Amino acid sequence: MSSLCKTYFENENVSLKDYYSDNIYTWCTNCGNYGIAAATKRALVAENIEPKDTFMCFDIGCNGNGSDKIGGYRLHGLHGRVIPVATGAALANRNLSVIASGGDGATLSEGIGHLVHAIRSNYNITFLMHNNCNYALTKGQASASTRQDVPMDSSPDGTPSDTLNFMNFVLSLGASFAARTFSGNVQQMTEVIRAGIRHRGFSVIEILQNCPTYNKDTTHEWYQDRIYDTIEIKDYDNSNFDSALNISKDMSERIATGVLFANPNSVPFDQRLENRQNYSTELVDEVKSYNQISQELFSRFI
Amino acid sequence: MNQLDIKRFAIKFGGESGQGINSLGEILAKALKNTGYKIFGYREYPSLIRGGYASYQIDIGNEAINSSSQFCDILVCSSRRSIYQYLRDLRSNSILIHTLTAVIFKPEDQEFIKSQNIQVKYIDALTLAKQQGGNALMSNMILLGALAEIIGLDLTSVEHIVNEQFADKPKLLEIDLKCLKVGHDLNIADYNLNLQKFDGWQDSKIITGNHAIALGAISAGARAYYSYPMTPASSILSYLAETSHESGMLVKQAEDEITAAQMTVGSMHMGTRAFTGTSGGGFDLMTETISLAGIIETPLVLVLAQRPGPATGLPTWTSAGDLNLAIHAGHGEYPRIVISASDFETAYSLIQNAFDLAEKFQTPVILLTEKQIAEGLYNVKDLPQDIEINRYLLNENELTTKSTLKRYQFTENGISPRWLPGSDLPQYNANGDEHDEVGDVNEESLNAKLIAEKRMKKTELIKMSLPDPVLYGENEADITFIGWGSVKPVINDVRDILKQNNSEIKINYLHYDYLFPLKSELLLNVLKNSKRLVLVENNYLGQLGQLITSETGFQFSEKLLKYDGRPFFIEDILNFINSSRNE
Repeated sequence: MSSLCKTYFENENVSLKDYYSDNIYTWCTNCGNYGIAAATKRALVAENIEPKDTFMCFDIGCNGNGSDKIGGYRLHGLHGRVIPVATGAALANRNLSVIASGGDGATLSEGIGHLVHAIRSNYNITFLMHNNCNYALTKGQASASTRQDVPMDSSPDGTPSDTLNFMNFVLSLGASFAARTFSGNVQQMTEVIRAGIRHRGFSVIEILQNCPTYNKDTTHEWYQDRIYDTIEIKDYDNSNFDSALNISKDMSERIATGVLFANPNSVPFDQRLENRQNYSTELVDEVKSYNQISQELFSRFI
Repeated sequence: MNQLDIKRFAIKFGGESGQGINSLGEILAKALKNTGYKIFGYREYPSLIRGGYASYQIDIGNEAINSSSQFCDILVCSSRRSIYQYLRDLRSNSILIHTLTAVIFKPEDQEFIKSQNIQVKYIDALTLAKQQGGNALMSNMILLGALAEIIGLDLTSVEHIVNEQFADKPKLLEIDLKCLKVGHDLNIADYNLNLQKFDGWQDSKIITGNHAIALGAISAGARAYYSYPMTPASSILSYLAETSHESGMLVKQAEDEITAAQMTVGSMHMGTRAFTGTSGGGFDLMTETISLAGIIETPLVLVLAQRPGPATGLPTWTSAGDLNLAIHAGHGEYPRIVISASDFETAYSLIQNAFDLAEKFQTPVILLTEKQIAEGLYNVKDLPQDIEINRYLLNENELTTKSTLKRYQFTENGISPRWLPGSDLPQYNANGDEHDEVGDVNEESLNAKLIAEKRMKKTELIKMSLPDPVLYGENEADITFIGWGSVKPVINDVRDILKQNNSEIKINYLHYDYLFPLKSELLLNVLKNSKRLVLVENNYLGQLGQLITSETGFQFSEKLLKYDGRPFFIEDILNFINSSRNE
């Protein structure tokens, strides 16, 4: 085992066991979530982030059922709303690493407005989009990323609506960080999540996730046969937006994974606020009486 | 009763949206205030940017007035529609000044003007303004000058405000001042009001209820405001944004109300003070988030600025029709606190109290206000005393064993220890799924029962700690009114009028700032001892009455309800008292 790999388990301030939970997983056998949970923990340990400095937010869906199977401070919120609750938290205390998880059902339907505006605002959080191409927790309805010709619980003839290519969509919105990874590749997932945590801005990570129970179309093996890593592309430059947009398109023959795009000049939302430029404190540390300011503002009225 | 000497006076400006009615009203209000008078400003306007009809009414008195009258003594109109719209709002012996050529009154209007002895005066303001080198908006200065002469207001006090307002446009200022003088010298109407300077309200400020909420929140250490624009809450957002360089507050216009509420929960959960504000339609979208805050026991503060619904309803008008919405918002059962502002002072204090209550009881607090309060213009001498800031967080230094801490611990009073993410204490899951004491998912029947009881226990505790309603006036009265929100200043103004006139009818008023959970001890006492009880509410159902009935079984036989988008005017209350006396 290389020294790099060791830091996945044991680091200066934190080790993998600090993120352990006694609770028993409730996912299906061979669910992609096991790999995602493992990679998330490894990434946090590798980044030397203690559980007390982690705030993980979970949407409703199978990902959310992992909210009590991992250490760290956590919030398990409402369907589609993980992005705004996580950004509100991140803005209040930037000392914590905020990771939000949501599925394709929540993110591409009820939560799609939040996604669009979070990309615009470039909030400094890491967003793990668990894309298993269906609503698994409600037993297999089609989501916006389900392929059209696949019969699903609520659409036995296949869904009449077009399929949404998440990565392509995210890039078209000008995301400052866009990565795609695969739940079957814990090593790559770990490194991609680490890069997402380090990125200053809204890091969007699409995880192509197999769903052994409800997704018989794009299975673990199906992805295995099609994915490749951008490092396999000669001289791939992930600061080049056009190349990223280009390789993000193919979701059926050769599927690109890795950090497709990272804007080296990304400025996160909190640094864009002109009125907060001189503050080194966090909002959570600033709750006290500002009576003098109120009095001063009051005195300006005529 | 009609012979009551009412020591107040009202001037109304009417026109189209976009004609500068508001700046006209503001200048006069400020000039009056600087002369020592107490004013209350009331605006009516349509939900559009140009056209329609809009008004700005200033009620004027020597002593405290905090409400509007339905009728005015001087009406100044710069659009045809506003003349017809507001003509019937003139008192007898009043004046109508307008700028429209060839205004034709219908026979019944002519009869009204004659019988009420109304002086109708035409001023060719545009021509006069143009003669001074001015434009259409400057005809307002002609009107203002003429008005100052009529009410005996020293022109220099008006000039002073105009100077301040247009200091950055010296060329236009010169013309404005000329127009004022020309208007003043018209000597247009025969009127005997003589508003002499006196030592009164000079040192006060003219300020709205939304400013009170914003300033109260700033002072209480609110460090973030997330909101989506919606009348009549919008000016909280714009004012907090405008002052964000001074306050350092993070002010974010969110993409929708769901986002605003969720970001607020996220920020509050981490331990800062954040809040959100909206009106009924936006609040509807926030309700799932209120429910979330209820189960994860995260403090949440929301301002619900009421306007008439359903749906878009009357977007720029007033109402107190969302009490039921606030009380019942969100699915499931969880404790919540609903409080209501009634004027500037309570708006300032209650937003501070909202933070205190939300953090003390770890649950959502909804602060109700109304368009009448949000946009009403008050004379205020000082900001109220601040509420002390307490955070009610676990004191880490007093801990002996950290490892056994449970964020949702079953306690006697239902309040569990709260500590913030980032603390070196056991990390917990704020779980919107039903959970056990540490926050882990738990669907067992015993746990479900116990944790529901733990949360709901807080309701009794909240009820005990909330202040009682306030009885204004003597204990003994012929009529006891009961109400909430902007009803308070109207009835209190009426009480003053009755007192000044040594009226033989005595009224008192039981007022609720703290609405839910409802305190009923004092109420029951009042119910028992009063000769005649009248519920007064700015809604159709009498929603406080419904709440009282559900809590106490008491049914109101007399209700004075108003649901036409207009606030209660003093005449509404006076007429009610008058008509009941004639019965």
